[in-house]
Amino acid sequence: MNRSIGKERKTIALTVNGVSHELEVGNRPFQVAPSHTLAHTLRETLNLTGTKVGCDQGACGSCTVIMDGTPILSCMTLTVECHGREITTIEGLADKRSGKLDPLQQAFVDHTAFQCGFCTPGMIMASKSLLDRNPSADRHTVKEALSGHYCRCISHYQVVDAVMAAAKKEV
Amino acid sequence: MPKNYRFLGKATPRKDALEIVTGKAKYIDDIRPAAMLHGKVLRSPYPHAEIRHIDTARAEALAGVKAVLTYKNVPPWRTGMPKHMPVLDRKVRYVGDAVALVATETLEAAAGALDLIEVEYEKMAAVYDMEAALEPGAPLLHEAFPNNLVSKFPAFGPKTLTKVVRGDVEKGFEDADFISEGTFGYENVANPLPIEPPGVIAQWEDDQRLTVWSGTQSASWHRWIMQSKMGFPDIRAITTQCGGSFGSKNYAPQCLFYAAALARVTGIAVKVYYSKDEHFGAFVLRLGSRFRGRIGIKKDGTVTAVAGSWMVDTGSYSDMTQSQIAVGCGEAQLMLKSENWDLATKVICTNRCASGVIRGFGGQELESALAPILADVMAKADLDPVQFFKKNYVKPGDRYVWREGNHWTCRGKDYSEAMEEGARAFGWKDKWKGWLKPTAVDGAKRIGVGVGIHGNADVGEDDSEAYIRLNADGTATIHASVSESGMGQRSNLCKMAAEVLQLPLEHVHMTPPDTLVNPFDFGLVGSRGTYAVGSAIIGAAEDALQKLFELTAPKLGADPKEMETADGRIFIRDNPDRVISWSKAIGIMHTVTGFGTHKADYSVPNFIILFVEVEVDIGTGALKVCKVLTATDVGQIIDPPSLEGQLYGALGSAGLDTAVFEETIIDRNSGHMLNMNMTDYKWRTFADLPEFENVILETPFPTHRFKAIGVGEVATSPGPGAVLMAASNAVGKHLHHYPLTPNRILEALGRVER
Amino acid sequence: MKPFRHFDAESVDEALALLTEYGDKARVTAGGTDLLGVLKSEILPDHPEAVINLKTICGLDGIEADGGGVRIGALARLAAIADAPIVKKYFPALALSAASVGSPELRNMGTIGGNLCQDTRCWYYRYPDKMGGRVPCYRKGQGPCHAIRGDNRYHAVLGGRKCYAVCPSDPAIVLAALEAGVKTVRPAGERTIPLADFYDTMGPVLDPDEIVTEIRIPAPAANAVQRFSKFRLRESIDFAVVSVAVVLEVAEGVCRDARIVLGAVAPVPYRAVAAEDVVRGGPLDERQAGLAAEAALRDARPMSGNAYKIEIAKTLVRRALRLRENFF
Repeated sequence: MNRSIGKERKTIALTVNGVSHELEVGNRPFQVAPSHTLAHTLRETLNLTGTKVGCDQGACGSCTVIMDGTPILSCMTLTVECHGREITTIEGLADKRSGKLDPLQQAFVDHTAFQCGFCTPGMIMASKSLLDRNPSADRHTVKEALSGHYCRCISHYQVVDAVMAAAKKEV
Repeated sequence: MPKNYRFLGKATPRKDALEIVTGKAKYIDDIRPAAMLHGKVLRSPYPHAEIRHIDTARAEALAGVKAVLTYKNVPPWRTGMPKHMPVLDRKVRYVGDAVALVATETLEAAAGALDLIEVEYEKMAAVYDMEAALEPGAPLLHEAFPNNLVSKFPAFGPKTLTKVVRGDVEKGFEDADFISEGTFGYENVANPLPIEPPGVIAQWEDDQRLTVWSGTQSASWHRWIMQSKMGFPDIRAITTQCGGSFGSKNYAPQCLFYAAALARVTGIAVKVYYSKDEHFGAFVLRLGSRFRGRIGIKKDGTVTAVAGSWMVDTGSYSDMTQSQIAVGCGEAQLMLKSENWDLATKVICTNRCASGVIRGFGGQELESALAPILADVMAKADLDPVQFFKKNYVKPGDRYVWREGNHWTCRGKDYSEAMEEGARAFGWKDKWKGWLKPTAVDGAKRIGVGVGIHGNADVGEDDSEAYIRLNADGTATIHASVSESGMGQRSNLCKMAAEVLQLPLEHVHMTPPDTLVNPFDFGLVGSRGTYAVGSAIIGAAEDALQKLFELTAPKLGADPKEMETADGRIFIRDNPDRVISWSKAIGIMHTVTGFGTHKADYSVPNFIILFVEVEVDIGTGALKVCKVLTATDVGQIIDPPSLEGQLYGALGSAGLDTAVFEETIIDRNSGHMLNMNMTDYKWRTFADLPEFENVILETPFPTHRFKAIGVGEVATSPGPGAVLMAASNAVGKHLHHYPLTPNRILEALGRVER
Repeated sequence: MKPFRHFDAESVDEALALLTEYGDKARVTAGGTDLLGVLKSEILPDHPEAVINLKTICGLDGIEADGGGVRIGALARLAAIADAPIVKKYFPALALSAASVGSPELRNMGTIGGNLCQDTRCWYYRYPDKMGGRVPCYRKGQGPCHAIRGDNRYHAVLGGRKCYAVCPSDPAIVLAALEAGVKTVRPAGERTIPLADFYDTMGPVLDPDEIVTEIRIPAPAANAVQRFSKFRLRESIDFAVVSVAVVLEVAEGVCRDARIVLGAVAPVPYRAVAAEDVVRGGPLDERQAGLAAEAALRDARPMSGNAYKIEIAKTLVRRALRLRENFF
């Protein structure tokens, strides 16, 4: 049947939180279907339910994960297009051995920078990526970086405070 | 001045903070029973139709499909006030209304099955405007409700408030120096839109025992209210971490019906978890609200009469609308002290997704519809709105009729100080230039300020019960049905208990929100968490402590009255060296339990005032919120960041922004909801954050053990009216319509023809 | 999403071969931020059998100087364009427009080619199938445009005919003002389509087996002034209600040449030739700006609920033409 020239991927190798996964592509249970989003794969196949799906249309930011250093929306990313990628989710931030929180996570705890907490993993991942690239980001930059993140409880003010607390102060 | 407590008033990390920041917190879609089916809903293409024929054979034959239900074979459960909505009906009443249910092994099979259900509809005319719905010959949504007028319902007992009638309004208007009248609406039926869609997992343990997991706000509601709708099965209701609710997920009768009906026929657990589309288009919206009437005042701001009709559009059916009418009628009296009232109400059905319970609960809807007429009459009298609100907000000794129809005398406090402190911090005196006068003009930019107030006598509403268990290891376990949907109350209530028991906070725990292990609690509705639930838990802790001291008396050879406890040790107040550990006092094979209760009390209203500064660009009609300041008095802060979070919430959950850009847009030709996505439904982003300040007073409330009350419910409500006022002042014209889109502002400015 | 087959194209030729094989039963994807939304909502009567991933094609994401102009590969991310020094320096309006799209995450994912080729945002067209069934309309080849009788607050005031959806791309507006060309390839060979001709009422004029490979922007005049302004309800997420891109050549206070393009007011980027004629050759003052704004919207025909867009567009044009502060 398949006379096509392009590559129809049979397996996907990707790294999530430092762990390599080799996933089969297919439509059977436990396989990754071509139509599966990364959010779906993380949550349903890899059981990493820390990544939340809010709108499933790319307009709320709650599914944000870091892919090769860049924050992206896992609900608008096909898993079959993540071959060779390195992904960090909220479960991958704390120190694996000690369980010690990333300073940014700790800042969210210290500032109670959440209410219902559903948007928090996405906010933390976007902020983490920002601080990795720009450790001394200012408040305006933080707000810009989070401008695609929905929070209905209005934790915004406390989130900005938390990210600023985790940001390095300009010397 | 507030007392210096060990925990209260100090920021402490939320008890669930670690789970939240590490992604371990379990929301409903993170719960994975070993065997579970997916429940999905086939939805109506028409706003109003009768199902003439429905064929499910092809869907049933599809692999992976375990059940298909239609109106013909669903259990005979009913919801609504009065009970009028079956699980599925032969009629559909809005585009997106439920037609059939499927339970399948996979989501893919569900999508396939829905496509295979064949339905023939008989289309009917639809009606979208509430007054048009009252006209003779208008399309009728429910046979039980002639003229689409929903029956009165004793939601809060036989005297439930359906109107406010007292004094002599005709004389009141004669006495008035200024009268304003007109018809004004708050009809954008905005969506509270918590980020997490609603969801329920249902599983029948046997014919009469149903377990329900849900991402909702109040575990008890899914047992206590749903039992009465389902023939009184024994429901065990468990709530998971809830991704926001704002009232809307207090309970989810239809999601629960669907899941429970499918679980019953399949014998397997079924999850119904709405997509965001369904959350927008088939869950709950705010009430549509329209006030037609008049208000009379004297020169000094005394309100001499309020008369009119409050019409409420409940959409396709009424679940709790009559309750909201009752509370709204109560709240209007708190806001407007007047001897003479004649406020009538009507609840009307139209062909759109139903209205439900939403933060603001009737009061926001009524007061937002009253805001333009109040602004008009205040402007006629040239009164400063802060002074007007101060004069007319309920004060200690004032009487009002609350939702259940009883007269109450306010035993709260005079909030004048909170109003003044807020005005001072905002710089109201300098910024307020008089009605329809901008605070500043800079080219095309016009700055204006506005103010709104809101209050509710709900801090002590309904009943709560709690147990507490003192354990020999020096820990305490609170048994209370408290869910976590964002307010942090599971933590804050532990703080109150820790304060009574003088235990480290990490030694005080609360049972999961599960009705099997907890006594009754009405739930975290209104602003009742701190006062009502808190009083029950504090009472339980004090009761347990008393018992602990009595138990210890023979061992310490002292009177219980002489004893104190700290950190799991009991000692004599005047001789701290005489000490015994809880372990020795209680004995490792025993516990000490206490019980506490709170009985409904509507005598303590809470309050919030909200100031707003906006900038209007008269070249584009753009409205920008520049600054928001709230002021309130809570008696005693329990947890500063949690409280601030509630107040910041003024910008969320269909609050202030219902005057700026939030609205549900429905096509009046076809009934389709057009903006059921998070791009076209507007919400406030980080890039549009105004400056935001909270002024929080702590004048002790004598009626609470820690002198505290809650304010969560009221934060969203004063914003919409305040924004209308601010924008009106900015552009120099009264603006009446919610939300103030660029279109509306340009129309008001005469730059665009209507 | 309903199932589909997924192919990684490793070269343009492979992509074309796949397109030839699947014809209109295939969809190409780059950033995917638009296509996945379309597929999830099941708005299209025909679900694609194949999705062809272009991201696996090497070398299509460059942003490079080309003479005095610049060449931007179709797979260049919007975030990269917004941040590229060469774009910021020579085409600041393009950088602004790219930075105004969606949200930071969407810009990290979305590409310039995908942005130009995204489907319209008309809310009738986008009505999700699972909420009672997709809404058939003229654009789907099944009936009339519902915006005519319905809620058309975001629809076209200029140039609508049978379909009144507007072009949703922000960069397209600037690229039209910069007289950019869109390089494409199809089995018949390569061609370069001027941005001005890239759209018709139904969207990009591409053949079903044609893909965009590159955007070419000619060198700007030395004294060019570039402006981009996007009016939206919020500073993030939102598509434009109205946008305007202006490229002026000004010397000694006199406007030598002008290109004025309006966005979100028409099915295509709308070149306001009449406004250009007003300002070309004269001094740029408040009066001229006002006349140009009127001229730009002279042909506008509002629908029942979108006349306000005309007013906003006039203000935006007027402000984009101001070279001094404090005149509006």
